[in-house]
Amino acid sequence: MATKKALTGVKRHSLSLIFLFVGSLLILFTMLTLFNMIFRQLVFDTGGLLEAAADPEVIESIVLTLYCSFLATLIGAILGTPLAYVLARHDFLGKTVVESVIDLPVVIPHSVAGIALYALFMSRSPVGGAFSSIGVVFEDSMWGIVVAMLFVSTPFYVNAAREGFQSINPRLERVARTLGASHWKSFYKITLPLTVRHLFSGAVMAWARGISEFGAVVIIAYYPMIAPVLIFHKYTTHGLAGSQPIAVLLILICIGVFILLRVSSKYWEKKK
Amino acid sequence: MKKVKNSKTGISKILAAAIVAIVAVAAIGGVWYYTTLETEEKVLKIFCAGSLTLPFEDIEAQFEADNPTVDVQLEPGGSVTRVQKITEHGEECDVLASADYSLIPSMMMTEDSDYTDWYIIFAVNRMTLAYTDNSKYADEITADNWYEILRRSDVKWGFSDPNMDPCGYRSPMVIQLAEQEYGDDMIFEDLIEANCDITVSEDAGTYIIDSNLTDLNPDTNRLAIREKSVDLVSMVQEGGLDYAFEYSSVAKQHDLNYLELPVTIDLSSADYADLYKTVKVEKTTTTSTGKPIVYGLTIPNNSPNPELAAEFVEYIINESGQTVFNNNGQPPVIPAVTNDISKIPENLKTYVVQ
Repeated sequence: MATKKALTGVKRHSLSLIFLFVGSLLILFTMLTLFNMIFRQLVFDTGGLLEAAADPEVIESIVLTLYCSFLATLIGAILGTPLAYVLARHDFLGKTVVESVIDLPVVIPHSVAGIALYALFMSRSPVGGAFSSIGVVFEDSMWGIVVAMLFVSTPFYVNAAREGFQSINPRLERVARTLGASHWKSFYKITLPLTVRHLFSGAVMAWARGISEFGAVVIIAYYPMIAPVLIFHKYTTHGLAGSQPIAVLLILICIGVFILLRVSSKYWEKKK
Repeated sequence: MKKVKNSKTGISKILAAAIVAIVAVAAIGGVWYYTTLETEEKVLKIFCAGSLTLPFEDIEAQFEADNPTVDVQLEPGGSVTRVQKITEHGEECDVLASADYSLIPSMMMTEDSDYTDWYIIFAVNRMTLAYTDNSKYADEITADNWYEILRRSDVKWGFSDPNMDPCGYRSPMVIQLAEQEYGDDMIFEDLIEANCDITVSEDAGTYIIDSNLTDLNPDTNRLAIREKSVDLVSMVQEGGLDYAFEYSSVAKQHDLNYLELPVTIDLSSADYADLYKTVKVEKTTTTSTGKPIVYGLTIPNNSPNPELAAEFVEYIINESGQTVFNNNGQPPVIPAVTNDISKIPENLKTYVVQ
């Protein structure tokens, strides 16, 4: 936490400058890696990029990726918001265990997660069998992609939502209730509006995480091919020249969507 | 960081300093450990086909136990890319072992690309059908009826993507070769064409299998196609699939049961090379022709440690090496065969015939 001791102008200056320099190295690392690829693609192989953008197979796979991750995020948000609220507001026996379980998907190697998901959701398993009796099949289907993305993206949403709820003083809810609001109403009218920014940025992170998933998806649903699988397929069969345009296209579309989301959430904030 | 009360400042400062010191020592110590580890020992670099990783790890352990100052480093990968690392990227390696011995004469022994003048054929692999005791009809399946069992509508089976994995393009080859072996010209149609978008056509005695598609569109209720054959191993073990086409090495190394298919269709014997080459698979990139899966090795001219490399090769082709390959489902060629016995290192001559 920031100390209240006032820093002298020079000191503050040197601290900020050094921090700025050190911090920019990290940003530079990320940007150079990505921009180098994007730049080379745009300048030296514009044709390849346009070709990829005009290929229905590529566009279908990118749209499928964005959509499946959106579905996974939606399911994660519907189930994860109540969980995050409970974790933020209540202490109970085994809470640390629950919190660790939420984080587990981050540490499990993705191919292992894929095999575990396959074992649970294959149509021959009890769970997968129950779903397939109502027409939901996971092997080589959109639903397989969604569960894999849900599995890996859950921690990002739940953790962001929990931090959001924790940042709201429970007294506000109590005041609302002393004024006659029900638990439901105080949650809906007070807590939710104040945390919506956290929920939103958690959802964006979860969505992004879903889009980038490869290892878990490829085991349960090799087909239909999501963009990361298609990129790997093209890399194996056609090398860098075949895979890079698709990767750059995916990055450009994602950057576009991210900026749009961030700007609109900023605008939303201001309006309030 | 948490704000601390003044009375505890001293202790927490010491604690913080201790933590910083531990982290710094761990970070620097780790770097020191790993860098000196590499410099103190002599490094023997081995490029090998991915499917040779496990047996080569066994041989590596034996070799390092006998030669404690040598660090054997395996770099497994696709055989073609292994060779290209030497011929195109100019990388140095001490032993090259390819899953297709013919890559050595065709890519390393030409006038333009002269990296060696000999090779040794030391082991083979075979296409098999892998399964577990829980697979449907596991108690009935034999080398005579496997294609009948795969035809049954309640059986699920798989092979890997022909465009992504050599085991993948060899699987439809086996199925096409089976038509002649069993005298049943519906096998390919029933197993492949009915379940996915791969097709076959005949042209003057050669069968051309067309898998030039990114999406092979398998019927999920019957057939699973995956990026690589190892993914199918997990699926068979989990019971989601009953059977998968795998190399005998992969099946054995993962403790699966496997069906030994007739030598006329399992791509394991150089004696049937003429028969195997009657099937071809058109992929999204190139066309692959049926060939026996025969492993070959050589010591490239640019090897930094040729004597040590020759010693390592001896561990591969001597009796204990043969045991290792047998245990890994890659039957050794006994005795190993070379193209030119006058060119191979002296210590290997007793193990090899021309």
